[in-house]
Amino acid sequence: MDFDYGLLYVVATLLPLASFLILFLGGRRMGRLGAYIATAAIGLSCVCSLIGAVAYFSNVPHHHGHHAAGHAHDGPGHDHHPDAHADKKADHGHDPKQDHKADPHSGTKEEHDHGPPWQGSIYWAWVGGTADKPAMSLELGYYVDGLTVLMFVMVSFIATLIHVFSMGYMAEELQDQVEDHQAHVTRKGRYSRFFMFLSLFCFSMLNLILANNLFQVFVSWELVGICSYLLISFYYERLSASTAANKAFIVNRVGDAGFIIGLLIFWTYCGTFNFQEIFGQLRCPPEDAHGKNSLAGQIVRGRLVPEQDLGDRKYLAVVEFRLDVAQLEKSGAVDKETLDRLRTLDGKTFDRAKSFRDALEAALGHEQFEKLESQLLQAGARTISDGPVALLFPPEPGDHPHGVGPDAEKFEDGYGDGIYLAVAPKPNQYRSIPYWLLVLGGIGIFLGCVGKSAQFPLQVWLPDAMEGPTPVSALIHAATMVAAGVYLVGRAFPLFAPEVLVLIAYVGCITAFLAATIAIVQTDIKKVLAYSTVSQLGFMMLALGVGGWAAGLFHLITHAFFKALLFLGSGSVIHGCHHEQDMTRMGGLFPKMKITAVTMLIGVLSIAGTPLFAGWYSKDAVLASALSFVTLRPQHLLLFLLPLITAGLTAFYMFRLWFLTFTGKPRDEHVYEHAHESPYVMTVPLMILAFFSVTVAWGLNPLDATGSALEHAIHHEYPTVMPDRVAEDDAKVKAEAGNDAILPALVAYQLDKNAYLNVLHLPSLHELAGGLALLAAGLGIAMAFVVYGFGFLDPAQTKAQFQSVFRFLWEKWYFDEAYEVMFVRPAHVVAGWARWFDLKVIDGIIDNLALGTVRLSWFDGRFDLGIIDGLVNLTANVVYGVGSWLRIFQTGSIRNYVLFLALAAVGIVAVLSYVVALAG
Amino acid sequence: MTTVGLQEVLLVGAVLFVAGILCMVTKRNAIGVLMGTELVLNGANVNFVAFAYFHNLFNIEGQIFALFTIIMAAAEAAIALAIVLNFYNNHVTVDVDAAEDLKG
Amino acid sequence: MSFADFLFWVVALLTGLSAVMVVVTQNIVRAALWLLFTLAGTAGLFFLLGADFVGAVQLLVYVGGILILLVFGVMLTAQGPFVNLRAGAGEWAVAIVVGLLLLGLLGSAFLMTDWRFLPTQPPDPATSRYTNDLGLALLGSRDATPPGTLPVHPGDQPVERSRVAYLLPFEIVSVHLLVVLIGAAYLARARRRRGART
Repeated sequence: MDFDYGLLYVVATLLPLASFLILFLGGRRMGRLGAYIATAAIGLSCVCSLIGAVAYFSNVPHHHGHHAAGHAHDGPGHDHHPDAHADKKADHGHDPKQDHKADPHSGTKEEHDHGPPWQGSIYWAWVGGTADKPAMSLELGYYVDGLTVLMFVMVSFIATLIHVFSMGYMAEELQDQVEDHQAHVTRKGRYSRFFMFLSLFCFSMLNLILANNLFQVFVSWELVGICSYLLISFYYERLSASTAANKAFIVNRVGDAGFIIGLLIFWTYCGTFNFQEIFGQLRCPPEDAHGKNSLAGQIVRGRLVPEQDLGDRKYLAVVEFRLDVAQLEKSGAVDKETLDRLRTLDGKTFDRAKSFRDALEAALGHEQFEKLESQLLQAGARTISDGPVALLFPPEPGDHPHGVGPDAEKFEDGYGDGIYLAVAPKPNQYRSIPYWLLVLGGIGIFLGCVGKSAQFPLQVWLPDAMEGPTPVSALIHAATMVAAGVYLVGRAFPLFAPEVLVLIAYVGCITAFLAATIAIVQTDIKKVLAYSTVSQLGFMMLALGVGGWAAGLFHLITHAFFKALLFLGSGSVIHGCHHEQDMTRMGGLFPKMKITAVTMLIGVLSIAGTPLFAGWYSKDAVLASALSFVTLRPQHLLLFLLPLITAGLTAFYMFRLWFLTFTGKPRDEHVYEHAHESPYVMTVPLMILAFFSVTVAWGLNPLDATGSALEHAIHHEYPTVMPDRVAEDDAKVKAEAGNDAILPALVAYQLDKNAYLNVLHLPSLHELAGGLALLAAGLGIAMAFVVYGFGFLDPAQTKAQFQSVFRFLWEKWYFDEAYEVMFVRPAHVVAGWARWFDLKVIDGIIDNLALGTVRLSWFDGRFDLGIIDGLVNLTANVVYGVGSWLRIFQTGSIRNYVLFLALAAVGIVAVLSYVVALAG
Repeated sequence: MTTVGLQEVLLVGAVLFVAGILCMVTKRNAIGVLMGTELVLNGANVNFVAFAYFHNLFNIEGQIFALFTIIMAAAEAAIALAIVLNFYNNHVTVDVDAAEDLKG
Repeated sequence: MSFADFLFWVVALLTGLSAVMVVVTQNIVRAALWLLFTLAGTAGLFFLLGADFVGAVQLLVYVGGILILLVFGVMLTAQGPFVNLRAGAGEWAVAIVVGLLLLGLLGSAFLMTDWRFLPTQPPDPATSRYTNDLGLALLGSRDATPPGTLPVHPGDQPVERSRVAYLLPFEIVSVHLLVVLIGAAYLARARRRRGART
């Protein structure tokens, strides 16, 4: 590949920045020209990203046989990251800007089933080492893999459409004087400023997607945050807008605090922010130096051993979750029944086991375990250890010089043959991270995502953020920025321990349900959509949490299209109704704005999960993931039930929105009279988005819910950190393990995680989940028809009947009030204390210090006048006195001088002779 | 001359020298002071000549220095007298105690 | 005591007494007279010490020149009160003490010095060619000054003395005299007094 497409993406990212700078410098004068520049910039970015996408996917070779079968599960891709990583390291020798992988295919014997990641970076700041190869560095780089490519296309494409739409929507800002009816002020138009912020946002968002390291993500993360802040408070004369902006910013700070904690944990233990390097450390290479699969691709739970325990041998750790059954069999110490039982163990056995011993005991049953133990003891082994567990991983992939297996070093102090094998690393070869810190780091990063993606319990800011202009809501608060949290969870997926993934799943699940219930009762058209967004983001988080990595990101992309469509549609309605957002004052608008109504209906159908619409595929994938998970772990039943209910609720409130807006009788004559269809500059983006809201997820056979081409494409990008043999289905692992002296049961963390994640690929489950989801959506739609479509049930009456429930939902589950009581008021109280402390103690100290200084100065002055000046004056006086005394001898009389001369001669000679006499 | 040695001659020179100093100190008349200087110079000359006489390596040098001293004395006397006359012209006195313009 | 010794003591006594009289005499004119005797006695001493030429010059310059000059000065300025200007008794006392101290110092200096390292062989006046050598030295001949080893304290490194001549100092002194004469004439020239101080 001669052309580096990575740089194309860099250009695509920098174009909006250039536009931002031009608009920034151009100021208010730019007018329409500013909009053209911004739109052209993001449009060019879109073109670049499309070229990149074509180049990327045209590089994807045909898959292995079982992949081509159309099965939803393509399996995690063959892992070539170690090579890429090694090349990258080697490339640091020359100009880092050229540091991209020219041909990832060279030197790898396996066939890749996804295209090359284009990557490169420059150092932003570094310490230690040389400039070419610093000991620690902050990078500024790009990493373009399939996920980036797809996200890039999505973001730049939707952003382009929204730019176009905004040209129409924000047209009135072109006037010199704009009257703000809500804030009751007249101000200058801010047309160019709007596009300036949009450009800055586009740059930040694209940079976030493009980043190859966590730190760059974090910087972009804050940049999109500030853009969000600026655009929410675009009408900053309105108190509600500025308050909402502050709220968004502050709530996000809570999440970002967690993000920083996560960053620091991984920086501390990995020494890098680069995704690939961190991932590289979180596992072993597929093969060791002997060509043996030893600790291949696993994070191994082991027990840290103090060095002195082992005499002169420098063992740092003992691998605990490992049992070499082949050797065990060879030794003949264990009977065949136990061996067979051992071979049937799988990753689940060790899921959250406290120790190897517990796990084995639980898996084998008490009787059989005791038998095994006694047999081992007879063979000379010690009792099976149950120490605490830690997590070990090597710092450098491909640098694993020792084997664990037949030729591994063994403990010679009584652990017995083939049972407890020692890893004998060189000093500092292994970095280790306490498991709880790995969990904490994952939670920290996820907390950042919670804030940005408005997940429970930080979901409160997003609905308020609807104070911004509607295109902003569509772009930032529906399609892209809020999805950044989901994107980051997907990007940093290997960092999350199973415990964290469960947490993610629950958070997503609760968020989805909670937001959907609130959305039912909202009357502000944008608020409904906002809660819908929160709910859908919850779906994505849920999918990621239950291991449906591809499903979550798939839903992210489809959702971006139809949610942008819905928001732009609502914008069109609001624009047509002269900034009326309350649905209770709309109604019957269908004849007046047909294009808007139809496109919005498409969006509603899509989000509701109607077959053949984009939302159908992704929502089914999400629910199928959840169902698979729940099938294996019935205790997490809620993770499927709540999303299922939510799917029904979603269909209900979305149709409610559409019915309330476009059908029935006009409820407000004034609004109805003035309603009109928006200009083409606004409706054309709607139509384009509507088209994609239907077709974006289509595969070869649109009727196949699992056949979405987009989902397959995402699946290829699964961030595998384990070798194929582990990543394949359990049976295959077991089969290979027998030959390779590795039991799947005894592969630790990654297999754990693999078992955790490897559950979503059963077609039957997918069909079941799809069917249930369709049923739920159908019920929801039917309800909406009953209540709002045909008016069989009077909403007001229902409302009256369920007054308390309605209040509860209307007040958004009292989250704001709860936070008011829990955080805001305590904060005020603490602030009061702090104020008191500041006034009394700090100021007191300062005042007293000042007073003390004055006193001290007084003494100092005395000292200066008395002693210092006194000394100076004394010197002068002495000199004066001596001079006066000497003056006596200056008589002016020659005779006296002669006398003095004679005397002096006598005196000097006398003294000299005396001295000479003394000396002699 | 067998009994009279260098020390005796030097004694004469010392007497002349001390007499000159005393003369300078005690005379208030400027010309008296001048006379004192002549005495001092003569005392020195006596020493020069005495050493010239009693040291055979410096027979000539001692006399030459004495000669130069005499010439210097003559010059000094001329200048000094001129100054005294000038002083007298200006102050109408030759009392050196009146010449105390430079008194500190 | 040879005649020469006798003569020396007579001349020395005369000279010393005259010098003391110069100091003691209050009248400036008498002092000049006593000075005459002193200078003449000194000249006699020079003769006795074999310095014929120096003695002659002493007589010529001092007695014949400087003294006359002094007497002129005395006469030019000797108006009533100035002839007998006298110092106070206190001054006299101090002067005498200082004088005695100085005399003691000088006396102790040459009395306590060990003169033995000097080659004290006085030349025979009869055979000495001092005046001749003096003229040669002043004319620039190095033959007049004998070479030899300078007397040093025993144990010190002996220092060789080379021959020297005195033409240049002689010329300088002559020019100097001329300058002094011109200067003196300038200083002493008659000027109209402008309001003399009283």
